[in-house]
Amino acid sequence: MVNHLHGRPDSPVHRLSAALKLGLVLVIIVATVLAPIQWRAWFIGEAVLLVLTASLSQLPLFFLFRRLLVLSPFVLGVVLVNAFQPAGRDKWLAVAAKSVLCLLTVILVSNTTPFSQILRVLKSIHVPALLITTLALMHRYLFVLMDESERMRRARASRTFTRGRRFHWNTLATVVGQLFVRASERAERIYDAMCARGWK
Amino acid sequence: MNAAIEIANLKYRYHDGTEALCGVSFRVAPGECVALLGPNGSGKSTLLLHLNGILPEKLSGDGTVKILGEPVAPRNLETIRREVGLVFQDPDDQLFCPTVQEDVAFGPQQLGLEDTEVAARVDKSLAQVGLTGFGRRATHHLSHGEKRRVCLAGVLACEPAILILDEPTSDLDPRGRREFKALLRQIPATKLIATHDLELVVELCSRAIVLDRGSVVADGPMFELLNDEKLMLEHGLERPHILRHQHPH
Amino acid sequence: MHIPDGFIDGKTAAVTAVISVAGVGFALRQVRRELPPRRVPLLGLAAAFLFAAQMVNFPVAGGTSGHLVGGTLVAALLGPSAAVVVVTTVLIVQCFLFQDGGVMALGANVFNMAILNSVVGYMIYRVVCQWLTGIRGRVTAIAFAAWCATVLAAICCAGQLAWSGTVPWSVAFPAMATVHMFIGVGEGLISALVFLAVYRARPDLITETALTGQPKRLGELVRYSLLVTLGVAVFVAPFACSWPDGLDSVADKFGFSHKMAPLLPAPAPNYLVPGIHWAVGATAVAGAAGSLIVFALALLMGRWLVPKPKDL
Repeated sequence: MVNHLHGRPDSPVHRLSAALKLGLVLVIIVATVLAPIQWRAWFIGEAVLLVLTASLSQLPLFFLFRRLLVLSPFVLGVVLVNAFQPAGRDKWLAVAAKSVLCLLTVILVSNTTPFSQILRVLKSIHVPALLITTLALMHRYLFVLMDESERMRRARASRTFTRGRRFHWNTLATVVGQLFVRASERAERIYDAMCARGWK
Repeated sequence: MNAAIEIANLKYRYHDGTEALCGVSFRVAPGECVALLGPNGSGKSTLLLHLNGILPEKLSGDGTVKILGEPVAPRNLETIRREVGLVFQDPDDQLFCPTVQEDVAFGPQQLGLEDTEVAARVDKSLAQVGLTGFGRRATHHLSHGEKRRVCLAGVLACEPAILILDEPTSDLDPRGRREFKALLRQIPATKLIATHDLELVVELCSRAIVLDRGSVVADGPMFELLNDEKLMLEHGLERPHILRHQHPH
Repeated sequence: MHIPDGFIDGKTAAVTAVISVAGVGFALRQVRRELPPRRVPLLGLAAAFLFAAQMVNFPVAGGTSGHLVGGTLVAALLGPSAAVVVVTTVLIVQCFLFQDGGVMALGANVFNMAILNSVVGYMIYRVVCQWLTGIRGRVTAIAFAAWCATVLAAICCAGQLAWSGTVPWSVAFPAMATVHMFIGVGEGLISALVFLAVYRARPDLITETALTGQPKRLGELVRYSLLVTLGVAVFVAPFACSWPDGLDSVADKFGFSHKMAPLLPAPAPNYLVPGIHWAVGATAVAGAAGSLIVFALALLMGRWLVPKPKDL
């Protein structure tokens, strides 16, 4: 899941400016959601454009497809609900088409734009500094904490000889609790490190 | 001439009441490279955090700490932190920016330097630690040795007069350790290194201070201290192999 | 409960976006005011923590597993405004990095999971803490509060879907509400267990249990309540009012509408208090009964997890 954000191939899509890409994402998504499903040409045109961009971006097809599949339970639900209603077909078709196209747009942009660039764009539109710092730190330590969580779980599992959901839940809850404690302690050390280099 | 670091009767208690430092005193002259030795839990890290004003939290603790003749006080924390570069024990705590470039640039930016000057310092520091071209790399994806070098670069970019390192070579493989030692040797700043790596001490430091349970139990020329087997064993250390075989220098 | 793009329409997205921006903006201001500088990195780390915690599988039965959502837990640990900021951060990263939840739907997702979940969860938690003291009380409180918050967030989500015309209320509401009543039990249990684990390891980390006692947050909560009430009024109320008619027609078709009436002790010969339709009454009674049952369960769990009453 993480791997596709790093070590990316260089493609024309990757090289576009982040601000441009994010702006396009917004425009495309808003337009797609607001467009009535009757405008078939619009949706088909959009799909073609996105597929072209996808091939330009050199992102593996299998990866794209797998990400899109995440939508399937939601779409299936809506299809089922609306299938037996008079205006149903148009409605579920609209939801399915729009959600797939919007998701594809976001997948393409987020996998060709480093997160720090996205943050820079947010900063330039005056998103409050506290939120930007929080987003940056979350992103930086996300994988560190996930690794810690995995290691703790494995260490616990190595010493678990009981089968039983109650024991299991207790163990997992302790791991999660420990994760919070470690995260808090790390936060304090990070604050010290920031101060040591002059942060105010 | 002013001592680079001057500590007099420093005391500190943890939140739960245990005494971490019980009246620590010593001086470090400019240009010296001093090793801070001691078993785990002796208070080394706590002591180091006093040298740039991070501890005590209320800055009204017992004892005095003077950096380049100036006592550490709330009003001059900025200048103190400019002169004292502290490299933390866990590189993940210190590398809090997403890319190498941004992290090394953090210090110079906080100093208020112009963008061009910041960029120049970043390039210079990365070159000093042998990581030219690593600017765009994501910090999360560096190897442990690379992370430690980026941490050092980030501190060097502020051009401090005093360099303080907390366990700089722990978790490094032998090559990493050799490379890091070579780096440190080339840095002219006054150095205080808390470490368990006794080979590093022998190779780089002229003086050693042994801390145990919050008190200084020995302070003198490195060779003398490290060769004192009884002293070493008594305080959770040992006489390093490199000295055992009496290698001529 | 992350709503993807295309499931809510333009007007719903716009309204939720406005409410959410107001709520998050307010939360940021609150946090800046009350959080000491030392704790600023904690927000980012707490967000990373929440994300990592959400990935932990709590096995349920067969191949299914439960996961923590965590809004109420974070609110109990760090306060409501910090929780709003932390969960919003998680949602933004999930949206952009992992494409979990839509971009236009971010407003709705933030309202449901960051604002409603955290704030309502916190309020219920504090209310219960007033009655039940000690760590046992807190454990009970957080379990119950997390359950309520989960169910309410789900109901709001259903309202947003219905208002967009994607799924009719008569389907969305029962589906979301019942499913989340079960999911909420897991959420309550996990939140309580984790809270207890943190309390046992480092009670000083829990901002809300600082030695000075739980901070007064009346002004803050009043403002959040207004925002939350606004949202509920827009997304849920219209349906709650018109729904009974829809249900009536379904009931008529299947011929059991009159069989329902005797379920409720009617002070008046026909239906209930005049003006309140039986369907709303029935739902209210069911909701209250469900809540009481869950509260009783939470009490039992509190007793089980914390053997002796301890003072905070």
